[in-house]
Amino acid sequence: MPDTVVIGAGLSGLVAAIRLARAGQAVTLLTKGLGGLQLSQGTIDVLGYAPQRVEAPLEAAASLPASHPYSVLGSAAVTAGIAYAQELLGGHLVGTVDRNVLLPTAVGSLRPTCLVPTSMAAGVVTGGIRYALVGFRQLKDFYPKLCAGNLERQTAPSGEAISARGLVIDLPAVEGMADSSALGYARAIDGSAYRAKLAATLKPLLEDGEVVGLPAILGYRDAAAHRHLEELLDHAVFEVPLPPPGVPGMRLNEALTTLAKQAGVRIVAGAKVVGFETSGGKILSVGQATAGRVRQYAADTFVYAPGGFESGALSMDSYGTVTETIFGLPLHGLGPDLVTADDPANQALFRVGVGVDARMRVVDPAGTAPYSNLYAAGGVLAGAIRWSEKSGEGIALASAVAAADSILKGA
Amino acid sequence: MRSLDVDVVVVGGGSTGVGVVRDVAMRGYKAVLVDRADLAQGTSGRFHGLLHSGGRYVVSDPNSARECAEENVVVTRIQPTAVETTGGLFVCGPDDDPEFGDKFLAGAAANGVPATEISIAEALAREPRVNPGIQRAIAVQDGSVDGWQLVWTAARSAKEYGAEILTYHKVTKIERTGDQVSAVVCTDLKTGEEVRIGCTFILNCAGAWAGEIAGMAGCHDVQVVPGRGIMVAMNHRLVNTVVNRLIYPSDGDIIVPVHTVCIIGTTDVKAPDPDHLPIPHDEVQQMFDAGEVLVPGFRKARALHVWAGARPLVKDSRVGAGDTRHMSRGMGILNHYERDGLKGLLTISGGKLTTYRLMAEHIVDAMEAELGTSHPCRTADEPCPTPGPEPTYVPSTYHVTHRLHDREHDRMQDQILCECELMSRRMFTDKLAEQPTASLDDLRRQLRLGMGPCQGGFCAVRATGVAHELGTVGTERATGLLRLFLEHRWLGLWPILYGDQVRQTALDNWIFSGTLDVEHLPEGAEVV
Repeated sequence: MPDTVVIGAGLSGLVAAIRLARAGQAVTLLTKGLGGLQLSQGTIDVLGYAPQRVEAPLEAAASLPASHPYSVLGSAAVTAGIAYAQELLGGHLVGTVDRNVLLPTAVGSLRPTCLVPTSMAAGVVTGGIRYALVGFRQLKDFYPKLCAGNLERQTAPSGEAISARGLVIDLPAVEGMADSSALGYARAIDGSAYRAKLAATLKPLLEDGEVVGLPAILGYRDAAAHRHLEELLDHAVFEVPLPPPGVPGMRLNEALTTLAKQAGVRIVAGAKVVGFETSGGKILSVGQATAGRVRQYAADTFVYAPGGFESGALSMDSYGTVTETIFGLPLHGLGPDLVTADDPANQALFRVGVGVDARMRVVDPAGTAPYSNLYAAGGVLAGAIRWSEKSGEGIALASAVAAADSILKGA
Repeated sequence: MRSLDVDVVVVGGGSTGVGVVRDVAMRGYKAVLVDRADLAQGTSGRFHGLLHSGGRYVVSDPNSARECAEENVVVTRIQPTAVETTGGLFVCGPDDDPEFGDKFLAGAAANGVPATEISIAEALAREPRVNPGIQRAIAVQDGSVDGWQLVWTAARSAKEYGAEILTYHKVTKIERTGDQVSAVVCTDLKTGEEVRIGCTFILNCAGAWAGEIAGMAGCHDVQVVPGRGIMVAMNHRLVNTVVNRLIYPSDGDIIVPVHTVCIIGTTDVKAPDPDHLPIPHDEVQQMFDAGEVLVPGFRKARALHVWAGARPLVKDSRVGAGDTRHMSRGMGILNHYERDGLKGLLTISGGKLTTYRLMAEHIVDAMEAELGTSHPCRTADEPCPTPGPEPTYVPSTYHVTHRLHDREHDRMQDQILCECELMSRRMFTDKLAEQPTASLDDLRRQLRLGMGPCQGGFCAVRATGVAHELGTVGTERATGLLRLFLEHRWLGLWPILYGDQVRQTALDNWIFSGTLDVEHLPEGAEVV
């Protein structure tokens, strides 16, 4: 029997599982499918808006409302979570938790984030920067001229102008194919011959000193693809994240899944957790709907990291009743007018979620734990609208590390 | 100021106005149609998509039933690209009175509405999701009609006969010389330019807005009482034929398969202002409850979008009995010469999309009666020209899979910008070249861009990017168009947000807010 069962294979589930396994626990991770990382932009956001643009995320996190996960976790937990990401993914991430940077999005807004993959670092906005944004005629999710046009309408934090131009090149990922996904391109770019062809097409179009922004397709398996392309072009190159499936997020997913397996985490993927057994105020086991029958996984402790409304872990029915769909846990943030006519991204509904105490155990709004051995982490937590705040990865990391440490302390 | 001179100005670009301008042009008049927005942006695009067989009215309104049965055949013949011949069923629910079915069959037989009672087993074999507790089932020839395609193909025909169609032209003034109308003055909302259209006749087809237009000509107290109805689109075809409840026409008693989705409708509540139609929570719940009676488990299906339309009902005690003698039931013509002493103005009210062509015929007949002229109406004889390059596969009427057929043929040469509705890049760029000042919503209505399950989550940015890359729109306008499109999608989403559509919305929020940070794009003078 494992010591801990983790439910969910997104950032928080993988990180909690790795931390527990590396501390010597036997860990089983149950997941319905690929985790939420494939939907992410691949950066580590801590806090980008509160609601004004944030420069120092830790400072800003300290003045959030009491219901926010960061207020429950405390800034030491945020620092510890980010530090753990740097420890696990050190070679891949650039930045510091003290300061946000701005990266161009695919439509040309300037998006605050905290740690960025090395493949995006050259894109950080600085005064006087000159971007050459490059799209592919056969890739429909990046329009470099629109991106460049909007970038030029803004200034760097220093107040200096941003110069940007957009180029569209005609280079299919697969010969004869007019419509390839970002992942299709990333697989093509894994091959050094394709990179050479890309460089040969692109290099004559570039001007000295330009920083080259390409859609986030610079290799799926080959971590050296970005650096190799920079050498071939003799220009700084950065990736611009695209809508899902996002290649940088998938790379993070690959890296963390590999680390989890190396740490001895047993990953059981492909089936949903559908039920559970309890006794004496504790979860005894959870059932996974594997082919043919529901299989029970017993453990001493359970980390619930299934994601939020996007994963289906939280749901609202046609009568407006909001539920947590596996354990039927008490929810925080309920009230009238959860969905209103204004501003789709900032609905009160998306602040509804599961509450935790300082030990990361699931608690009801009165502070009582329905199960003494159930911990929660990541997007299922109440109190944050992560896409608006640009806080998803920070919450996931801080809560996963805190939950793991709390379990290890208890054990 | 720009000046035009025509014989007839048609005000209103819904199905009635477009049908009228086509008929007027085919009879040899020089005509122009003006609308303050895009074609079929009002009521003609905000219905459930039913091409009536007449079945719905066989008991309540036999005259309408007969007209529907006839016009169903005509519309299917002259505008096949707007019609899917789905067939329909009237089913008697578990708690409905089965004897109504006898009245229904008698009414159908008396009014030329083809209707055949079939066994319950046969009905359930045709539509397996329909409530197995139904007591009777009657098969009819209901169809599914795309209001936008219907209006655009009729407009294309009108243009071929020399009519001019001016969308985004808002009427600001109607000029009269003595007791005769002489001109319509409009503002071109895209350019701000004033346009004066000299004319001898005005046909007021402004639907729910007809009172306002009549008032500009000095004809006051035309009481338009818009009847608001809400409709909900579900994310796939729960039924493949039209399923009606076999009862006296009521709320929420019909589900129509339309393209890749199906639509349940509708309610009927008096609305004080056709420009601001609320979508009350209780009416949405009423639709879901009604859906459960026809298709058990309806509430577990995914609702995609909700909208409201305003039926143009005119109540006017001063309408002479003679005015409606030759008119279809539910439709009326106000003769302002008889009513107000003004020559050259008729106001049209009421009516149904299925019988739009017949209504137009009656209206133009009435105009000619006032002018003392007479030309034969040929609108039923001649098919409308089919739209441009899309769809290529339209043997006669369309079928739900026609776009799949097209994409299977061009998928190696072209991109699919909207996967939900299988809209190719070429379809989009062709339409954009035709209508370069169109908004994304204008293009959506003609192309179904962003009307599928993801509600624009993936295609909205692509459409914006392509329009910008082609140089059709600049950066500021492109950004404004994107924002506006997303705002409009949300209007129809939030009142029905539940189940898997919550999950979809969360994903869309991760895309637009999380990854793209659209909300923090720079503001600007974004003229859209």
